[in-house]
Amino acid sequence: MQTAIPRRHALALLATCAATPVASAWAVDALTQARSFVSMFGNKLVGIVNSDMPLEKKKQDILPLLNQYVDVDAIGRYCLGRYWRIATPEQQARYIKLFHEVLVNAITDKIGDYRGVTFVVGTSAPSGDDTAVSTVINRPGQPGADTQWIISTASGSPKVVDVVGEGASLRLTQRQDYSSFIARNSGNVDALLHALDKQIANHH
Amino acid sequence: MRAETGSNSWSSRPFPSLRRSAIRVAGVALGLLGLAGCAAPPPTDPDALAEYKEANDKYEKLNRKAFDVTMWANKYTLRPVAKAYIWAVPRPLRNSFGSLYQTMNEPVVFFNDVGAGKPRRAGDAFVRWCINMTAGIGGLIDVANYAGYKHHDNDAGLTLATWGVPSGPYLFLPVLGPSSFRDGIGYGIDTGLSPWNYVPRGYGLITFNWAYNIMGTINGMATNVDALDQVMKDSLDPYATIRSAYQQQRQAMAEAIKNDHRATVPDWYHTR
Repeated sequence: MQTAIPRRHALALLATCAATPVASAWAVDALTQARSFVSMFGNKLVGIVNSDMPLEKKKQDILPLLNQYVDVDAIGRYCLGRYWRIATPEQQARYIKLFHEVLVNAITDKIGDYRGVTFVVGTSAPSGDDTAVSTVINRPGQPGADTQWIISTASGSPKVVDVVGEGASLRLTQRQDYSSFIARNSGNVDALLHALDKQIANHH
Repeated sequence: MRAETGSNSWSSRPFPSLRRSAIRVAGVALGLLGLAGCAAPPPTDPDALAEYKEANDKYEKLNRKAFDVTMWANKYTLRPVAKAYIWAVPRPLRNSFGSLYQTMNEPVVFFNDVGAGKPRRAGDAFVRWCINMTAGIGGLIDVANYAGYKHHDNDAGLTLATWGVPSGPYLFLPVLGPSSFRDGIGYGIDTGLSPWNYVPRGYGLITFNWAYNIMGTINGMATNVDALDQVMKDSLDPYATIRSAYQQQRQAMAEAIKNDHRATVPDWYHTR
């Protein structure tokens, strides 16, 4: 008795065999790319943070890095959640502009707290469509902070779309903050814009 | 709730617990029962319903009241004390106190590691306890950390999570801070697991327990006060921010324990 693999099955098998190494090689490549991206971006950040420059100069120097390597628009859209669809194009544009400012303020405010920072890049793993790169950030006299960087290439080049500190995603936490605030203001997106305006005005 | 063990994750433990009194545990248990009657009806809009489910906060109205009261009290009591403590006590000494508190809580971590069926973790907790209680002078110096036995957190809420017990609705407990039905019950179990509650009276236990708890509370708040201040300042809805961060962090901690499949024998055994 003879068992033969039907031709189309054989073809499918062949196709699978041919595709598998390519797919996995591509995945490995994406993981390595994300890892070296985090290493490069992290070194640039740490270089500025640890330098002897005055705080104002550090803040200025960090801005172009954030614009280049952080996908602020994507983070902003994510943080508005379901209200992004409800918002008018004008509201969306205003929101993104405000969000840029709020995020930059939040990051630059922290620079002063960090001195003598070192970081170790660990493993990278797929996280949905993106790649999660683990790092440990060490500050003198304090326990190391496990931090994951979520890197997306959706914009064409690798960019940071989220930071997960001790298990909590910054963008998800921010989204729940915003959505709860909007919900408590009767679903009014303008209330959020107004609050962000105020937050920026109060920023020293 | 869990003991403040001085790790740097602010959001799960911005409220160092005044822990381990049977009365408080009873209060938590009664509170949990009493909540059953005050759930708000879920919204009907599908998007709003998805958000409602994500927040997992049936008792939001009551929780928010507890949050407001706790934050108000914190502002005028614990926070200024913690600030003064930071001003008066240099960081190395504060770290030492944090380490002492952590070490004295190590038996609770150990029992929970055993409960979660993670012998490697249990071994680490056990060795940490032995080394730090002796060479580390009761935990003042975290010698075990230098010997390669790093601290890890565990509590009965997490153990229950590894057993597959769902968290139940979110709870914000007055003074104790963010929690859930499961973690609230876990807090009661942890109280029972702490050996300090079994030392016979008359050995200075009450003085020790008071000093230990007060020190742990102030030190814990000092560790987290900046992060908490920042949340209160930067969030539009600090209550929702803390809720979100707490729930994510607890889930991540439970996952980390579940996914820890390291061998029971330590690394040096293989490398000899």
